[in-house]
This record gives sequence, structure tokens and C-alpha cells, in this order.
Amino acid sequence: MTCRTDSRQAGPKSFFRAIPSLLMSLAILFAAGCGNHEKSANSAGGEKVLHLFNWNNYVAPETLDRFSEFCNCRLSQDYYSDNEEMLAKLAAGAAGYDLIVPTGNAMDTLIRQGVLNPLDKSLLPNFKNINPAYLDTAFDPGNKYSVPYAYTITLIGFNREKLEALDLPTDTWAVIFEPEHLEKIKGRVTVLDSPRELMAAALKYLGYSANDIDEHHWKQAAELILRAKPYWAAFNNTSYVRELAAGNLWLAHGYSNDMFQAAHDAAKTGRRFTIEYSTPKEGAVLALDSMVLHRSGNQSDLAHQFINFMLEGKNAAELTNLVGSGNPNMGAMPYIKPEIANNKAIFPDPELLTRLEMLRDLDRKQRRLLSRLWTEIKLK
Amino acid sequence: MSRGNRWLWLAAILVYAFLYIPLAVVVIYSFNDSRLNAEWVGFTLLWYKTLLNDHEMLLAARNSLIIAFSASLSATLLGTMAGLAIHRYNLKVLPVLVFTPVAMPEILLGVSLLLFFLQVLHLTLGMASIIIAHTTFCVGFVAIIVRARLQGMDESIFEAARDLGASSWQTFRLVTLPLIMPAVVAGALMSFTLSIDDFVITFFTKGVGEPILPIQIYTMIKVAVTPEVNAVSTLLMLLTLVMIIIASRLEANALADKTSATGGGTGT
Amino acid sequence: MKAEEAQRKQQPAKFFVAGPPMLFLLLFFVAPSLIMIVTSFRFPGEFGGLAPFAPSSVPVAPIGTPVETGFTLEAYEFFFGDIIYAKIFLKSFAVAAATTLICLVMAYPLALLIARSDKRLRNLMVLLVVLPFASNFLIRIYAWMIILGPESALSHFINTFLGAFGLGPVSLLFSPFAVLVGMVYVHLPFMVLPLYTNLEKHDRSLLDAAQDLGAARWQRFWRVTWPLSLPGVFSGSALVFIPVLGMFAVPDILGGTGDILIGNLIKDQFLGTRDWPFGSVLSIMLTLAVLSVAGLAAWFARSSGTERAG
Repeated sequence: MTCRTDSRQAGPKSFFRAIPSLLMSLAILFAAGCGNHEKSANSAGGEKVLHLFNWNNYVAPETLDRFSEFCNCRLSQDYYSDNEEMLAKLAAGAAGYDLIVPTGNAMDTLIRQGVLNPLDKSLLPNFKNINPAYLDTAFDPGNKYSVPYAYTITLIGFNREKLEALDLPTDTWAVIFEPEHLEKIKGRVTVLDSPRELMAAALKYLGYSANDIDEHHWKQAAELILRAKPYWAAFNNTSYVRELAAGNLWLAHGYSNDMFQAAHDAAKTGRRFTIEYSTPKEGAVLALDSMVLHRSGNQSDLAHQFINFMLEGKNAAELTNLVGSGNPNMGAMPYIKPEIANNKAIFPDPELLTRLEMLRDLDRKQRRLLSRLWTEIKLK
Repeated sequence: MSRGNRWLWLAAILVYAFLYIPLAVVVIYSFNDSRLNAEWVGFTLLWYKTLLNDHEMLLAARNSLIIAFSASLSATLLGTMAGLAIHRYNLKVLPVLVFTPVAMPEILLGVSLLLFFLQVLHLTLGMASIIIAHTTFCVGFVAIIVRARLQGMDESIFEAARDLGASSWQTFRLVTLPLIMPAVVAGALMSFTLSIDDFVITFFTKGVGEPILPIQIYTMIKVAVTPEVNAVSTLLMLLTLVMIIIASRLEANALADKTSATGGGTGT
Repeated sequence: MKAEEAQRKQQPAKFFVAGPPMLFLLLFFVAPSLIMIVTSFRFPGEFGGLAPFAPSSVPVAPIGTPVETGFTLEAYEFFFGDIIYAKIFLKSFAVAAATTLICLVMAYPLALLIARSDKRLRNLMVLLVVLPFASNFLIRIYAWMIILGPESALSHFINTFLGAFGLGPVSLLFSPFAVLVGMVYVHLPFMVLPLYTNLEKHDRSLLDAAQDLGAARWQRFWRVTWPLSLPGVFSGSALVFIPVLGMFAVPDILGGTGDILIGNLIKDQFLGTRDWPFGSVLSIMLTLAVLSVAGLAAWFARSSGTERAG
């Protein structure tokens, strides 16, 4: 009986007799290989590392490489795809970031929490390049803590041919919220998986401010959303880019630089349709991302160098040319590709600018209420 | 073959197909000459080249290996001890402590560890926090495997050792350990695999600046999907396949040795 | 006398062997769980995380209501105050039950076949079941995004088929169906292995005896094999049901608008809304749910075991 058990267990289990040594050698190879790779890319010992906490794909690789050479240091980036995610990680005590690129309302939170280091403007001669229209926000009067980096508008991206064929409007939120329009594109629409963003769009469509905190208005917005929900394919923050470019989606609520990417991808892969995007006439959310210094970082000089570097017109333009983000840097305009500079969805007219709002943060009771509303929206 | 068996074979083949076709799809599309995974365009090795030049990804792979090694080492050590203790001594508390993390949904462990690390230990999240977290949920697996092996063994051999005057330590070193070694190794391998693959617990306990493989892949899936993701997984699958083939070759030899040593595999 | 002596001799060894794992788990498993329980009774911080126990001396500009400190049942009230949370739990249970059932139906024939196969083939077959498990969990989910996407061959096939009957095109991806497929795919090996381990131990002679007594194939299965396999069925079911209850990655990647489960909600509280107390409440509720399921499974397994012995 014992012997039979033994041999049965000898089967699958003693398979892996020599695995430890094999794994050991593989791991050493791997570590050695990577170690060499890193060493060859940087100078020996005592290398400085600048820790960035940034949105995905929000610095052009060429810019990073050039800065690496310029400062003789290495850049390490951690990513987030949502301000909430970033705030949550920071609230949870994540530390060691030198530079963060939060959006306005998130920056609002960070400043109030007192976790940011003020900027030393004397180290930032290129600060004058910034368009005054984007300075002195309600969050950071006098720009004590922040330097505007880029902005995006939350708008709608669409498959032009499909929407034209279906005779649908492309300049209003109605196409996202009204069943009469949605019927024609059922299952081919996605909206952002962000309570703030979607509520803001609904509130704007209803004629309210995106920062409205009236509970009744919120309920109205929730009802609007629930009425449209059956027609939406999903709540989605990121893969709508891929789906639009692949032709699976015909309409998406999303960020302007993501739409830029989708349009670019569609064109590059030779699709028979084009992706376009526009800001709805009722107004939308403007997300101004700024560079700030987190107090847990320890490379203040390096961080200032980076900010100043990014304030140079040529460097600032690289991001816009890469991802189509709006650029608050006047010095960058000459370096930006004309088709982007003239794109109204990326660089809005002053008139439309007045109808764009930056989101402000909510207090904890409002956040909880929103969270419950959001859960109900998701579940009904 | 009887009629019933034919149905069983059909069902089995369908299940195997269900298991393997998605993986085949991933592998095939890793050679697809298109940035999108939507349809087949042409054959290319571009994504593998991209992968080998992707510094972040290689760093993530290295970090994951380091974590997996450390976690499986500590988990194997603690788990073997736990397995032994549970089998040998009539303990009430340890079994519960050891086996519950295995049974619990990972998210609970991840979330509670996050709270604990930050609130109580004021530990900066990083490689250490992940290694501790992985060890915690791997200990149980090792303990289960070691204990199962011990349960299947003949107690008389331990009594014999004791009667011959061996101390506990000697008994352990010269008798127990060699006999449970296959289980220990299996436990180590299991922990290693679980650690490399773990997504949920790593998601909550990871820190800043250090990419970890599954998180890297998750970000790629949700954000910038390119067939590079397919390339990584194909390579990982290949690695495991190679390891297992070599292992089975060695196992055949080991089984031959073992059979002669314990006096017959199927008989007695 | 001898037993006592042996016991005493065991004591020091016992501490050395059981001590370290015990300490480790007390520190990194029990303590965190206790922390989570405590957290559920606290106020959420103004900016996320937790509010301090006592009013802090560092002034923090309040946005809305003043910062409250100390302990409260607020988070629990919030949980029980709206039926929506009970609904999500029910939904998660439903998905877990469906996944378990489907896994059982798929795994059983396979496990049976492996158990009855030739010994060398057996190991290979078990290996083939476990091998997909070695690839990264996310990749296995991602693969289904490709297969179920609207432009995939499968989608085209199914929609053409439905179109022939005049039925509208369906979206396979981002749907409850996709979530279910993903859940089953990820958890199938967990059902196969315990079933196989159990079925392998069955004594063939029982089946032969039944056959001699004139039982048909179906009866032999239902009256002999199935009851004997129940412990394996229950442990496999527990190994599938419980993880599915807490999953968030599958609905996150493959699910549609309404396909969130309790795991997604918990994740959102910690990494989204930053409402730690409420997240803790949800986690505790999930733990209670899991414990009751585990308890039930154990009870069923034991009672079916005694039946068998009798």
C-alpha cells in the first residue's frame, strides 16, 4: 500500500527534481543580461534617478532620451490611467516620486493635503513660455506649486463615415445620451468609466455646470445616464482607442489625445474609414495637467531641471506632435505640426474655451454619494 | 473501446480544445504584422524584437523573477515546517492559519495587507512588500503538498529511526527530509509559478518605480495593446514548456533510481 | 510513562518547527485581517485613506463638513442602507454558481477519462490540463478578448448564423457571457484536479460488481461513481466558487457596463473612491460570505462521506 502511494506520488511530483538549479541558472542569466543592458545605457555608479508618476504615454520617448543625456541621469516612470488611481496610491502612502503630473482637481487635493513642495521659480527661466490663459487657476493661484504641462478635453470621437451614413450629429452630447440617436448605433458606443467625467458630460448636456453638487441635479444626470445605458457597449477608459481604430466602435466618449491616437492608428493601418473627434457645443471638461513636485521625492534639482527642460518650446511640442495633446506653451506653437495646431478639437477657439470647465474635487460625503450613484448606474 | 469511452474521449478532446485554442490564438497573433489584434495581416518577428528592446518589460521580468525566487524560498521553508508540524503534532491553530489564505479570495488578502503595510508598519510599498505578500499566500500551498506526502508515508520508518537512537534532528535530516524532498520541490515550484503569475495581490501591494510583469501586462492590455503582449506570453509559455520537458526527462531517470531504492513501484 | 516522555521530548521541537510559520502568519495574515476589521469602523479621510483617531493639530482646509474622527458605524449603515449592495452580492453568487456548474459539467468527463486511462497517459493528460495554468492569468483572459471580439471569426460565424434566423447581431465581448467564459476558463483546472484525485481512487471492482448485477451504464454511473465522487465534487466546487466570488480582473477586462461584481466594487473603494472604511466593510461581508460557503461545502462533504461509509 505504501509503495503504491509512493510511486503514484513519484509521478507528477518528483517531476521537478532538477528544476531549482535550472531556474537558478535562468534567473542569473536574466538578471545578468538585464544588468548589462542597464549598465551600458548609463554611466557607472551613483547614477541619479528621477522618479516620474505620470499618465501613460505622456512623454515622448525622444524627449526622455534627450533629457537623460542632458542631465546624465535615468528616468523611471510609474503610470496611472486615472487621477483617482493616482490619488488613491498616494493616499495609501506610495512615496518616492519626484514629479507627478496630476490633473487640476487632483492637484487641488494634493495642494490641500500639503504634500507638494513649492517650486523655485528661479530655476525655471522657461516658465515665461506658458500662455497666461492657463495660469493662475483656482487650484493654484500664482502657480506656487504647478507648471502647466498639457491639457486634454473630454469629448466624443467617432467613425466619420458610419455616423454620416446614419445621419447622426457629431457636435452634441445628445448623440451619447439620446435614445433616438443611440438606436442606430446600439452596441457600438462606449463612455468613460469615470463617475466624474460621465456625470460632468450629463450635467453639461442638461445645462448645468460640470461642478454642480446639487443632489437633485445629480439624480437627474443619473437618470439620463440610465436611460442611455442599454445602448452603450461598455464603460471604458482605454481600449476604446483600439476599438475605434479597429472599426468595432463607431462612437466613444473619451480624451482628445486618445482620439488623436485612434485617428492616427486608423489611418496607418489603412482602414477604409476615418476617425474624427469634436467638442460638443454644450461644453465639456478641460483637464489641465501640470507638473508638480511631491514632497517624498529627493531629487529637487533634477526635477526642476526636467520641468525647465519640458518648458522649452521644442521639447514641449514633441508631446503634442506625438499624442495630440493640447499645449499651453506658447513657445511650442512653431514646432507643432500644422494639422494639429489647426485642429479645433485640440486647440479650441476662445469662444468654446469659455464653455470648458475644469473639475473641482469633492468632499468625502459627496464622494460617497457619487460612489453609490455610480454603483446603481452600473448595476441597473 | 466501448461506446461510453468514445463519448468520454469526445468530451475530453472538446475540453482540451477549449483550453488550448485561446492560447494558440495568442501565440499566432504574436507573429501578426499589425498593431491591432483584430485580424491576420502577415508574418513578422517585429514584436519579439520590440520586446527584447523594451527596457521596462525586461526590468519587469527581472523584478518578477527576483520576487518569485525570494517568495518561493521563504514560502517553501515556512510551508515545509508548517506541513511537518501539522502532520506530526496535534495542533489546533496552525492549520487554520496556514490553510485559510489558500481558500480566501486573493483580493481580501491584498487589501488587508495594503492596509496593514501602510497603517501599522508604515512600510513603503516596494519589492519587500510584494515578497512578503506572496510568501503569505504561498505558504499554504507548500504546506498542503508536504503534508499530503507525509500522510501517505509509512510511520514505521520514523519509529525505526527513533528506536535506533536517532535524535529528532537526525531523524529529520536523514530520514524525513529525503523522503519529503519531492513534495518540497513541488511546493517550491508551485510557489514560484504562483508568484510569477500573481496579479491581484501584487496589484494592491506594489510600490513605485518598480515594474512587475503581470502589472505591466495588465497595463498593456488595458491601455497600449500591441502584439508585444502576445510575444511576452508566448515566450513565457515556451519557457514553461521547456522546463517541463526537461523535468520529465530527468524524472524518468529519477524514477528508475527511486524504484530500485524503495524496492518496487507498483508491487508489494 | 513512555507517552508522557515522548510528549515532553516533543515540546522544544514543536516550537522550532511550528513557531516560525505561526509567527509569520500571525503577523502577516491575522494582524492585517484585524486591521481591516478596525478600519471598517472608522471615518474616511478627507482626501482619502482614513481620518485620524483624534483631531489633528495640523490644520487641514475642509472642503465640506468638518473632519470627524474616532469610531463610527457609518460605513456599515451605508452598506445596509441601500439594497444595491445586496444585489451585487447576489449577482456575484449567481456568477460563482454558474461558473462552478459549468466547470463541473466540463471537468467531470475529462477527470473520469484521465482516471480510467493507462498510467503513463494519465500523467501526461493531467499535465496537459495544468499546462495552460502556467501561462500568465491575464493573457488567458486577454486571449478571449481576441476570440470574442466583434470582428473575430467566431463572432462573424455566430452572427451570420443568427442572421439567418432574422435575429439581430449580438456582442459576445463585454457581456455577461464573456465574463462567464473567462471565469470558467481560468478556473477549470481547479475542478479537474480534485475530481481526478478522487476518481482515481475508486475501486474498479465495485463497477464490475454492479455490471454483473445487471446495472446499465447510466445506472452504474449514477449509483456507484457519482456518489463516491461527491467529496471530490465538493472540494472542486469550493476551489472554484470561492475564488470566483472575489474576482475582479475578469469582469474588469471582459465585462460590459453592468457586469461588475463584488471584487470590482472592493477594488474601486481602495483604488478609486479612496473610501477605505467602506471598502473594509465590503471585504468583511465578502469574507463572511466565503466562510459560509466553505462551511456549507465542508458540511456537505462530511455528510456525503458518512453516507458512503454506511
